[in-house]
Amino acid sequence: MMPGQTVALDRAVVRIDAERCKGCDLCVVACPHRNLRLSTGYNRNGYHPAEFHYRGDRGECTACGLCYWVCPDYAITEVAKRRV
Amino acid sequence: MSGTAGALYETTLGPLPTLTSKPTHYCAGCEHGTLTHLIASALEALGARERAVLVNSVGCSVLAPDYLNVDAVEAPHGRAPAVMTGIKRARPDLLVFSIQGDGDAASIGLLELLNAANRGDPITIFLVNNAIYGMTGGQMAPTTPVGMVTTTSPRGRDLALSGPPIDASKLVASFERPAYVRRVFLPVMPTASPEFYNARGALEGARAVRHAFEVQERGGFAFVEFVSTCNVNWKMSVLDSKRYAAEVLAPLFPAGVLRDRFRMESP
Repeated sequence: MMPGQTVALDRAVVRIDAERCKGCDLCVVACPHRNLRLSTGYNRNGYHPAEFHYRGDRGECTACGLCYWVCPDYAITEVAKRRV
Repeated sequence: MSGTAGALYETTLGPLPTLTSKPTHYCAGCEHGTLTHLIASALEALGARERAVLVNSVGCSVLAPDYLNVDAVEAPHGRAPAVMTGIKRARPDLLVFSIQGDGDAASIGLLELLNAANRGDPITIFLVNNAIYGMTGGQMAPTTPVGMVTTTSPRGRDLALSGPPIDASKLVASFERPAYVRRVFLPVMPTASPEFYNARGALEGARAVRHAFEVQERGGFAFVEFVSTCNVNWKMSVLDSKRYAAEVLAPLFPAGVLRDRFRMESP
């Protein structure tokens, strides 16, 4: 995923700055719906950055913000909910 | 939303102006970065960024002012509580806080920490306890659990030789004056399923940081210890270090509120 790219789902949006990410895996294991994963590609520093990936079996993103709070590099820059 | 989807989406959590855009020097998965984020968020929630002063210590936290858009003073090793006392007495309107490690606050700076706690000066201290000297390459710290292998205890910490680990929060709470003493388990916690980890620590940490600042505004001494990990110097993977912290450090340094004079935690 390119830096700053937004992945839109029906309910919520998570924006990841892939260049800040160090691929530590914490957002991946903290996501209650397992909607994040480490990319197979690399960022400029040689890490596999986290990327949004809707797995589909546990429910879509609800903008709970756990990934945002748990990220040690505050690479999850934005969590947004769809306006109703 | 400041980016692409302005009309369709509303930001619930966004980038914080208190954080600089500089990439952190912390290792992947280090709780220091999480704490920096929590502090920035609390300062913005309290509207206190303009009058916040960070007194930074020696250790991995030494570069914290590079990441926080606040005024900062570098204290001699371990002496952050003394410097903070001076700042607070000269300018009581400022909000002073320090980010210290266990090697800084529980070893070389224990005297300053305990005397500041005894005086009960209105300051806020955040102690990141990762049970090892992280910045200098993994030497045994006063908080290292018995049996843990470090570069200066290659056969594991020996109880007869080095004594049991120091419990900084209990020491601070043994004085009469501190108004808020709390210990938070900051890393993600393993659950029954290996796929999922419990991220409650970060949310508890956010509350503890905000309360620690509020206690200082009300004239109390606030001390929050964050049990953390150092996967690089523990020589483990990131998730293994979280598991080790939950198994070994969590029972040794139980999370909880040790002192809450202003009743911040009760509803």
